Amino acid sequence: MRKPLSFSYQLAIVLIMVVIGAIAGIYLPWYALGILFAFLAYILRLPTGNAFVLGLISGFLVWAISAYWINLQHPSSLPGRMANLFPLGGSVLVLYVLSGFFGGLTGGVWAWAGAKLRFK
Amino acid sequence: MKYIKSILPLTLAIIWTYALHNSWGTLPPLGKLISPFHGFWVNAEAPESGELTEENLQILGLEQVVTVVYDEMAVPHVFAQNDHDLYLAQGYLTAKDRLWQMEFQTHFAGGRISEIVGEKGMVSDQFQRRMGAVYGAEKSFEGMKEDPKAAVTLQAYSDGVNAYIESLTERNYPLEYKLLNYAPEKWTPIKSALFLKNMSFVLASGTDDLKMTNILRKYGKDIAENLFPNYPFVESPIIPVGTPRDFKPVPIPESPADFIGLGSAMKTPEKDPNIGSNNWAVSGNKTVSGLPMLANDPHLTLSLPSIWYQIQLVAPGVNVYGSTMPGTPNVIVGFNKNVAWGVTNVGSDVLDWYQVKFKDASKAEYWHDGHWKKTTIRIEKFKIKGKESFVDTIFFTHHGPVVYLSHEKPFKSNIPVGHALRWVAHEKSQESTTFYQLNRASNYADYAQALTFYSAPAQNFLFASNQGDIALWVNGKFPLKSYTHGKYLLDGTDPKADWQGFIPQPHNPHAKNPARGFLSSANQSSVDPSYPYYMGWQYAPSERGRRINERLEAMSKITMDSLRGLQNDHFNIRARTLLPLLLAKLKLPAGGIYGQATDELKRWNLQNAADSKGATIFENWVLLLQDAIWADEFAADENVPMNRPSMDRTLKMIQDEPEAIWWDNVKTKNKKENMAEIISGSFAASIDSLLKKHGPLGSEWAWYKHKQTGVRHLIPGMDALSRLNIPIGGGGTMVNAATTKTGPSWRMIVELSKEGRPRAHGVYPGGQSGNPGSAHYDDLIDTWAKGELRPLLYLEKPEDVSGRLRKKIVLSTKK
Repeated sequence: MRKPLSFSYQLAIVLIMVVIGAIAGIYLPWYALGILFAFLAYILRLPTGNAFVLGLISGFLVWAISAYWINLQHPSSLPGRMANLFPLGGSVLVLYVLSGFFGGLTGGVWAWAGAKLRFK
Repeated sequence: MKYIKSILPLTLAIIWTYALHNSWGTLPPLGKLISPFHGFWVNAEAPESGELTEENLQILGLEQVVTVVYDEMAVPHVFAQNDHDLYLAQGYLTAKDRLWQMEFQTHFAGGRISEIVGEKGMVSDQFQRRMGAVYGAEKSFEGMKEDPKAAVTLQAYSDGVNAYIESLTERNYPLEYKLLNYAPEKWTPIKSALFLKNMSFVLASGTDDLKMTNILRKYGKDIAENLFPNYPFVESPIIPVGTPRDFKPVPIPESPADFIGLGSAMKTPEKDPNIGSNNWAVSGNKTVSGLPMLANDPHLTLSLPSIWYQIQLVAPGVNVYGSTMPGTPNVIVGFNKNVAWGVTNVGSDVLDWYQVKFKDASKAEYWHDGHWKKTTIRIEKFKIKGKESFVDTIFFTHHGPVVYLSHEKPFKSNIPVGHALRWVAHEKSQESTTFYQLNRASNYADYAQALTFYSAPAQNFLFASNQGDIALWVNGKFPLKSYTHGKYLLDGTDPKADWQGFIPQPHNPHAKNPARGFLSSANQSSVDPSYPYYMGWQYAPSERGRRINERLEAMSKITMDSLRGLQNDHFNIRARTLLPLLLAKLKLPAGGIYGQATDELKRWNLQNAADSKGATIFENWVLLLQDAIWADEFAADENVPMNRPSMDRTLKMIQDEPEAIWWDNVKTKNKKENMAEIISGSFAASIDSLLKKHGPLGSEWAWYKHKQTGVRHLIPGMDALSRLNIPIGGGGTMVNAATTKTGPSWRMIVELSKEGRPRAHGVYPGGQSGNPGSAHYDDLIDTWAKGELRPLLYLEKPEDVSGRLRKKIVLSTKK
């Protein structure tokens, strides 16, 4: 049994993941965030449970904050329209959360998968 | 086992990603779509600051520098140094704002929607191709290329669109590509021809021949001709009665023998678009400025992105402003220094059906003029998203395509099976030359010359110049026909039933500077019965045309504002005649909801204003009254689709034929209804239905709430990208023809000036940008609904100073 990861170590991983996720978003396809998280979880030998949670948190933060940031920089009626289309009752706040949710699950599932490859 | 356990999560991750990377049915690819780096978030555009910004762009293919300035409506004013660059820039800039729409509409026109939406697009796609959309576009493209100048415009426009497409990466594709999960393809000049051809589908594909033959078969010729007369009882034709004739008519072909035909019986849903348009021009002696003024408002399906896109195009020899149709070069409706022009649709009969007699099941030969003649075939290949491709064979007689074989189910109820289609939209044509020349016209002679190249869809081309001329040509290619030829389905074996050439273009109905001082058109009868040629038996109802003419007759000292008032006129001229007749016959118990509604109607000022309750009651009553009179004998929902007599004919019956057999409801076996019973019964039914829909008589009965005018996104059901429930009055039979789904799609008023500085105003219900993430997506709708117009900025040179300019883009060649 490995000893549990320290909080500061986990925080550092989240920070690294967020930076990697954002850079991946700018230059690579949307799912690159997941693949890079898997790679990171693999080389850092993250425990599977931690990997999932850290990937989830990081993916959520990257996508939710970026969505919020874009809407701040380019305010338009589009998020409101999309929040009606999905349908989320027109709530842009819920749309940020939904964006974060998809980024988070993508990050979490892939980080978990990467970690699992190491723990035979 | 361990190995599987460690691979399983990876498999899950891949499945998750695959699921979110692709679209499933109508569900978009969620991962790609919602990613803030790739999806819809990227399409958000911040509103302009109000300051003038500058930008340099390099695009492939330009010969010299092009300067573009955008005003506060986001209208580009393009200054190029030659034609080629001008149209290349038009293609580039239009695509920049409207790429998805341009491609989607031409995909639709060319029968290729199933490539995007899968199998459910197939029936519409097959219909488009069987009707000869692609065949017609190919032929008209051949004709367009014959004019070298037009050929340059089409090729340069196409190069411009492609230069824009090539500058895109997946993440900055227009939103709709992300929603529907596909990518733009290369533009080609023939797509512009397809777009123009599609205007014939929109405006000149209406056909009642089958329904009329079904009536002929059921009731015989006397009743058919009595209920469906060949000229309205009340009319104010487009060409003023008494206009002198400046041509000697050619001989009229002999009539074919009477033909009953098989008709056909296929149950399909009814579609009834309410498409029409208004335009008018007034002479200088009726205006304050002393020079002519011209107004136009084409009514089309209201959509987002809008069918129109404003632009100013300036190059040596041309400085034109107006509305363009994304997908084709040049301005379609607009003005330049010296002239202004506008169009409305001509409802003449340019489409006929011929019952085909094939020799055998191979359909290799058909009977005509006493001989077996060979059919030709055309193969159409359909790519279907998520399915195997489908190959379709279309058989052609010398008339045209056999749209549906006898055993097939037509896409629309008015299309007969087992008939070949003869349609003017299949002719070789040169519409692009007409618009190229109109954009550069400086006087009446230039305008008249430009029109000689035009075929279809036929339009009432209205004209005004700063030399003081106003003119109108009912223009297009019109088949030379005997009286009522083609009102019913025709005999495909009879050579006399064939079209015998066309009315010579100089003989098309026209008028110039009439004594009454104005010209107008609103899709009503082009001419009075003294015109020597037969053009068709059925045009749009006369109400809008009559109202416009009576107002223009009465108006003097005309200004931009008084014409704007006329464009927004919603006086119900039909109610003026009909309502007193109906109220006189109405017998209902007083008091209660019926009494309240009757009082409301009696108080009504006959204006279909947005908040009018009387308008709601009247319109709904007339609808149910027509049902009550005609639905029993001319049921639209029976397997035999039939026309209903027009309102013009119905009004005649209410006025003069109280004993007509049609008043009786044949569905009630032991009772014979009379006129008063039908009128009162339909009133009660109408009030009951309004009560059920809107509650007790009150503000919920307001006309606009009942009518529900909306500007809807081109993808059906995309309410989130649409503007619904718009507070606007009017209706189909009023000058302000805003109905539930159609309406004035571009309103323009031009005041010409001797100095070549025309003052123009305009608006359309949409916005310049096709991007729902732009402030310019729908920013003009409120102005439009209020009945206001925006001043149109007409610049001389790119350095012109105006507080309305927001953005400057310098386009230069990409090395």
